[in-house]
Amino acid sequence: MERLIITVAVLPLISALFIQLFAGQFGRSIVKVSVAVTTIGFLLSLVALGVALMGNDPVAMSMTGDKGIILFDPLGTLLAAIIMGISLIVHLYSVRYMAEEEAYGQFFVLLDLMTAALLFMVVAGDLITLVISWYLVGVLLYFLLGQDTRSQTAYRFAFWTLITYRVGDLPLILAAALLFNAYDTWSLTTIFAEISANPYTHQIFGLPLTEVVAVLIGLAAFARSAQFLLHTWLPYTMDGPTPVSALMHAGIVNAGGFLINRFAPVFVHSGDVLNWIFIVGLITAIFGSLLMLTQNDIKKALGYSTMGQMGFMIMECGIGAFSLAIYHMFAHGVFKGTMFLSAGGVINDARHDDGIPKDELYTFAVEKQPNKARQPWLLMAAITLVVPLVILVLAHLLIAQDYFQKQGAVVLLFFGWVTGAQLIFATYRMRSQNIWRLVGLSVLSLVVVVLGYVFISHAFDLFLYPDEAFRAQLYAAASFDLLRFDVLVVVTTLIIVFGWLMTYYSEQNGYRRTQSSRRLWLNFYALISREFYVSDIYTRLTRTILALSGRLNVWLRWL
Amino acid sequence: MSDTLLVILAGIFLPLFPMSMLFNAVIDKTTNALARSIIIVVWPLCGVVIVSNITVAQPIWLVPLVLFTSTLYAVRILTLRDVTQWTGFLATSLWALLWIPVLQGTSAELLYSYAVSMALPLMLLVTLSTGLQKRFGAAYTDLYGGLARTIPRFSGVLVVVVVAAVATPVFPSFFILFDIVVETIATEPAISSVLLLNWLLWSWAGARLIQGLIVGRASQVKILDMAKPTVGLYAIVLLGLAAGGLYMSGEIL
Repeated sequence: MERLIITVAVLPLISALFIQLFAGQFGRSIVKVSVAVTTIGFLLSLVALGVALMGNDPVAMSMTGDKGIILFDPLGTLLAAIIMGISLIVHLYSVRYMAEEEAYGQFFVLLDLMTAALLFMVVAGDLITLVISWYLVGVLLYFLLGQDTRSQTAYRFAFWTLITYRVGDLPLILAAALLFNAYDTWSLTTIFAEISANPYTHQIFGLPLTEVVAVLIGLAAFARSAQFLLHTWLPYTMDGPTPVSALMHAGIVNAGGFLINRFAPVFVHSGDVLNWIFIVGLITAIFGSLLMLTQNDIKKALGYSTMGQMGFMIMECGIGAFSLAIYHMFAHGVFKGTMFLSAGGVINDARHDDGIPKDELYTFAVEKQPNKARQPWLLMAAITLVVPLVILVLAHLLIAQDYFQKQGAVVLLFFGWVTGAQLIFATYRMRSQNIWRLVGLSVLSLVVVVLGYVFISHAFDLFLYPDEAFRAQLYAAASFDLLRFDVLVVVTTLIIVFGWLMTYYSEQNGYRRTQSSRRLWLNFYALISREFYVSDIYTRLTRTILALSGRLNVWLRWL
Repeated sequence: MSDTLLVILAGIFLPLFPMSMLFNAVIDKTTNALARSIIIVVWPLCGVVIVSNITVAQPIWLVPLVLFTSTLYAVRILTLRDVTQWTGFLATSLWALLWIPVLQGTSAELLYSYAVSMALPLMLLVTLSTGLQKRFGAAYTDLYGGLARTIPRFSGVLVVVVVAAVATPVFPSFFILFDIVVETIATEPAISSVLLLNWLLWSWAGARLIQGLIVGRASQVKILDMAKPTVGLYAIVLLGLAAGGLYMSGEIL
């Protein structure tokens, strides 16, 4: 079985080497080798996943002592299958999409190398392999995004990605060095076993080692998953080829969630860090969603949408729902990958026929013919607030009676409630001719989504973290101080409900605003449209460093 | 020769500011490609020979000076456009850090392997710089650009060499720097922090160099690309370096 996993990881490397060496002899048809090899790799990864699902114990295979270890565990095998699946789709798509490119073969070489780096990253059983593959993903992504060597813009934004990823590499290197110093081994399995046995034995700079390492791992994950302040690269990297955008948004950007999951045995002893991770994820989700809503450029809006999703994923880790983050990663990957890869086809089809059915949504959104009569707002508000809550509570009670003892579960319920309520609220605002039909459909879709999410996330939980005690420990570690938690939930609820009420109020008053509120609104809009000036600050910082560099060179006579 | 004099002499060959200016002047003034390549490889080896003969304890100001030199050149390299000068500055920034393993008592044999494996990608870069001078009259970034389209084989080699030079896995410099971080993180975190910062600056500089050379539209004038056997030779050296890096990781980490 170990051989199977190694074969999966090595196959893309062989393909890359083959294309590089024989592209001249076989011409463009050589990329079929890459597709064939990726297909075989995908099938093998599915076999490996099947074996893991049957409940086999994790197996580690070492090449040299405690380095070069390939770990065959549920997390690694599941992600290997996902990576191979997404890679295969991107390969198939690229065969025709990239056909006009001059560096056609080179693109497939890079794609294969990227697949290999990602695979080694998820099955790495030691810190050296993990750091190397983590680092190489950033370097390869730089070159994939800069596939069009004529485009200065593509390279400019590819560089943003590279430098952010490099910023994220550094904490991982520090964490690896600290762990090696403390445990005298690179093997993750050994390190985690020792941490589980004696979590607080080692201290560094007067702090528990586990907490310092958790902070560093968190930082590495933030850079890779575009968390707020380290996010600017994501919305701007749309100049790369579409298959690369798909691969990036569907796979690479999710690596932060993977890393936190990989280090779960460290985070389980670092509750405070998990709380901070939750807050960073929450801020990212809010800012990402806010910026997404205000973009004029559809591509940037997609980028910010991914940022918001990454915020949710990191937030899930912060509340102890580690396996849910992996499910989120998978679901978001499939969703976003589909969006990117189908974009070209949709645009092409829309040129012939817009394909929009002339239904109620069309009547409301395009023809602007809303129904003048409205249902009583109090009734609708009650439905808005109560129905999603009932659905969520019932669905979770099916899974476990004690579910509501976990703060993390309450947070997830809360977000589920907000989403569901928002859906019904939006339905009400549409002023549909047949409001009850739309509300019914909304509730039905909510039921399907909630049940699907509850059961699948539970299945992920059982597969990735079969030890029930460990799962409970994770949730417990992520718990907030009860008072702070309650205050946070109440304040957030009030803000959201206040937002809805304000919308009702504005609609009743025909969106009339006072002079001061209009000015306030415009300032707020300016702030958002400049994306909170984060990119501007970085640009200014960059120019300052470059100016200093140039000045130093002049002073020191270029010697 | 007194030990103080030896330290100063070593500061020329494992360059420390301001003695580092001598090395950069030599690289800048040497026009012969072979001589330049030899200097790049031999210079740090001379430094290692000298430091191996120093018997007294190193002065207290040495570590701050090492970090200052490395950072100074890492910052300065960002705005360099001349590829040969760029290589000299990167060499200075990298080799200055070899003082850290020296101070930690690393064996002379290992220091030699560190010096050679750090110098080899730089030597390749110097030869590529000469190749650019021959083709375009100058090896400058942002001057002609578009090399990826004009001379694709040459630019492919150039990219991999730059990647190797800025301490990317799986090339030896990566493992050497990683080892220094491992050795210093617990006891002297300032060294690790500065090293990591410089590592970031090298990546930035490397990306600027690559972008300034390979990106852009193809030249209208036909330029001779690198011959396939030469590409093969570079590939063999780079593969050897990568293999050496992986071997080194087993030895030092």
